[in-house]
Amino acid sequence: MNRKPQRNLGTLFRIVILILGLGFVLLPIWYMVVTSFKPQTMIFELPPRLWPQIWTLKNYIAALGKDQFGLYFLNSSKVAIASTLLTVLISSMLAFVFARLHFPGKETLFYIFLLGMMVPPVMLIIPQFIVAKWLSLFNHLGLILVYTTMNISMQTFLLRGVFENVPRDLEEAALIDGAGPLTIFWRIILPLSGPGISVVIINTFLYSWEEFAWANVAIKNASQRTLPIGIALFQSEHLTEWGQVFAASLVALVPVLVIFIIFQRHFVQGISTTGLKG
Amino acid sequence: MKTNRFVWMLVSLLTVSATLLAACAPAATPTSAPATEAPAIATEAPTEAPTETPEPVTIQYWHTHSDPETAQLDQVIAAFEAANPGIQVETSRYAYNDYKTALLTAISSGSVPDVARLDIAWVSEFADQDALVQLDGNLPDFDNIIKDTFPGPLSTNYWNGHYYGLPLDTNTQVLLWNKDIFEAAGISAPPATMEEFAAVACTINRSAAETRYGYAQGGTYFWAPAPIFYAMGGKVTDEEITTATGYVNGPESVAAFTMLKDLYDQSCMSPNLLGGGIATDAGHAEGTYAMIIDGPWMVDIYKNNYPDFEVNFAPIPTGPDGTTSSVVGGEDVVILEGTANQEAAMKWAAYLLTPEAQKMMAAVGQMPTLASLAGDPAMPPYFAVFQEQLKTAQARVPHPKWSDMDNAINNAYQRMLNGDQTPQEALDQAAEEINALLQ
Amino acid sequence: MHTKRRYSDLIPALIFLLPGLVLFALFFLGPMLYSLRISFFDWKIVHPDQSVFVGFRNYQRALSDSIFQRAILNTFAYTVITVAAKMILGLGVALLLNQRMPGRTFLRVAYYLPVITSWVIVSLLFEYMFNGQAGLVNYVLKDILRLIPKDVLWFADPILTLVPIILLDIWKGIGWAAIIFLAGLQAIPAELFEAARVDGANSAAQLRYITWPLLGPTTVFLVVVLVIGGLNAYVPFQLMTNGGDPMDLTHSVLTLMYEATFGRIDFGYGAAISYLLTVFVFIVSLIELRLMRQQAV
Repeated sequence: MNRKPQRNLGTLFRIVILILGLGFVLLPIWYMVVTSFKPQTMIFELPPRLWPQIWTLKNYIAALGKDQFGLYFLNSSKVAIASTLLTVLISSMLAFVFARLHFPGKETLFYIFLLGMMVPPVMLIIPQFIVAKWLSLFNHLGLILVYTTMNISMQTFLLRGVFENVPRDLEEAALIDGAGPLTIFWRIILPLSGPGISVVIINTFLYSWEEFAWANVAIKNASQRTLPIGIALFQSEHLTEWGQVFAASLVALVPVLVIFIIFQRHFVQGISTTGLKG
Repeated sequence: MKTNRFVWMLVSLLTVSATLLAACAPAATPTSAPATEAPAIATEAPTEAPTETPEPVTIQYWHTHSDPETAQLDQVIAAFEAANPGIQVETSRYAYNDYKTALLTAISSGSVPDVARLDIAWVSEFADQDALVQLDGNLPDFDNIIKDTFPGPLSTNYWNGHYYGLPLDTNTQVLLWNKDIFEAAGISAPPATMEEFAAVACTINRSAAETRYGYAQGGTYFWAPAPIFYAMGGKVTDEEITTATGYVNGPESVAAFTMLKDLYDQSCMSPNLLGGGIATDAGHAEGTYAMIIDGPWMVDIYKNNYPDFEVNFAPIPTGPDGTTSSVVGGEDVVILEGTANQEAAMKWAAYLLTPEAQKMMAAVGQMPTLASLAGDPAMPPYFAVFQEQLKTAQARVPHPKWSDMDNAINNAYQRMLNGDQTPQEALDQAAEEINALLQ
Repeated sequence: MHTKRRYSDLIPALIFLLPGLVLFALFFLGPMLYSLRISFFDWKIVHPDQSVFVGFRNYQRALSDSIFQRAILNTFAYTVITVAAKMILGLGVALLLNQRMPGRTFLRVAYYLPVITSWVIVSLLFEYMFNGQAGLVNYVLKDILRLIPKDVLWFADPILTLVPIILLDIWKGIGWAAIIFLAGLQAIPAELFEAARVDGANSAAQLRYITWPLLGPTTVFLVVVLVIGGLNAYVPFQLMTNGGDPMDLTHSVLTLMYEATFGRIDFGYGAAISYLLTVFVFIVSLIELRLMRQQAV
């Protein structure tokens, strides 16, 4: 009975801190939203305001109205979805090998894959381009393949943990029934790893959606451009149209947000199945 | 479980088909976007008898034009293609900040565009890397074409005894002054000499109630102080580009930078040039900066973003010897080594320098490099002050290591503004660093 | 209860490995080797066969260059500060979010929002907020909180420039660390906490003796990944310092690499810099794993 007031105080304290933290977290985003509704003439107003004196939709109209915007949006969606699916497929196949199968040199091979996590993509752009040219893999296909490659290491690592934590009883039973590795992979491991796969989906989608450096060099036709390139084109040599840049970016944020909200229920659960616990 | 399995199978089927579909799309499809050309793909057709019409050819042209400029470029392309059946021009537009990266990546993998529009400061650098085709002696009618171009812009194409590009468009910087602010401070005309300039900058600054600067520069990179530097007689190196000693740290150069430093110390010049302040274009339109020095693109920028602002141009104030000057900017058109369609590429490059093409691009603010078009009534009226200034404007050092030299001067400017060194000391150090680059 | 292997592992392993291996070899290993190779040359981009072999000279040049050394210092300081802050604040947020409370989903999504923003956009955003003459931060510090007498020109000072960059990374990363800690926390069986409470342990003791040790692997993972990310920092540095301004004093190792490669067309030198970084990241990761594994024992 006497624990109650203490617990209430503790909870109140927690809520206050959380809300303060929330303010810190959301303030920049709020400022970006607000600025996207300001006309260019107010961009450097003094004092800066967190609520526009003059509201305008001009930035959104200009940004979205550029007839390519919808096209870039579609391109980014196509590339992101394909990259995500391909990454899920390939990294789950790799993770399965490392989690369940045995052969000489397995650990070494795994560490070689881990190298991919340590190297920044910007370092490899030129040789990757040379490979892409050699195989004639430009535009969207080039994007999809490279995005997948750059994500394999981390996602395989995560999924290996997930698969290792899948309880073995179903597998044991299937093995007794004479099931081969493909069946085990397809019918047992994958279905039980939904949350873990959600993590992979969110990670890869996010990466593909906002990647810029490789898209800049690998896309040869204007009609194939992805959103980040389109937004970069708002910045000309002589002027940054801040309002338009922010307006376009906020619109670009929506799909990722949607994907996250859809999968977030599984997200935390998914991470915990990757075995990053005790 | 059954639905799960079905879902996964569907998913992997989709992935595989998406990848296959993307793979089956030809790697160099013609675009469907209105911004680019080439409705029909036409790579090398099998050779026919020499007396037949030439094989249809597609050339790639890369650029960093803005939206309105790109639209106009399409018109130029249409005219060119009409006059040259058998050649199609496909364009790729890049964002300015990422253009060099895209070019270098393409060059290092051997898959280059045929023609490209390059910043004039990059031509000698790319030529030094053997990335550009030598034009004198190769481009048909080269000598006639360059006869009509301004010497300043033309000189930016010259490296190591040969020409590696054609001057495509040029520009320079002039003084922009805010008439309303001037009149409020009791000044009726823009400053004509540097002395007047310094005085006006400080008068306006002190007479204002709110924060206001008489003058603002975009940064400390050389392009920003260059007009004042050149107008006051400053030089970076000697004519033959062998040494910087006595030039970048010579008396005129030091005087120019000393004037700027004094303006900065007295708060007549905005501190934004050190980084992270209000941009000059925005500040000028909003009245924070009474004067800036900038280029012809400001007309369109202000029209689109600050429609109520009336922009006023004036020549760069004259230096101690009574002459004005400024810095030459602009772009050259080059042909990349490794192009498979050199003949067609050269035709396109040459076409861009015809009076028709130059007049068309002039309508969107691209100043022609043809001397014969100076004063032509077809030119937008605001060109006049720039073209007048171009008569005395100077090009920056056409050397492959220019960006390092720029950096040396940039750092020197920073050091003197911060008070770490006097202008003379800072420029002495810059001279040493530049000399090392000229070895 | 030992399962005898009922099938030979090698063939199925090869089939499963093949697509990933092919992609990885083509687009990662191959490029890595290419990069390594050109780091030993004075590389010519148009005629690579004319490149001059220079041995370790590119590496020596980098290591003795004061700009490179400064870049290492910046990158190092940035990494240490941001990783520490993200770990501490992330854990704090995770602990707070680990309660059943109304709006928990909303809070989680909100805290994770910075993570899903684009690096490019938020770098521009922070550059805008830290504008030296009309920025929000200066306004708050000067006119509202009255902490500073006059405007701070953040991006004009080689050390102050790091403040928005570091703040940006922390802001963007807390949510990520928090979610991972949260997952780790949720994996700790509730009975342990119950038992501890019965034994009279308060929150602090629970944190120290149950939570912290059981978060071991989570912590290790986070530290390793965050440090790698910190050392590989590129976009915020590039966009907010424009390549080392002022005076090349604010480079990160990768912006320096980028400038050497795409600014000065010195591919060999750029490759050497990136390899120095990669080797360093690799060694640091190994050391971390070793140290933390020992601690867990």
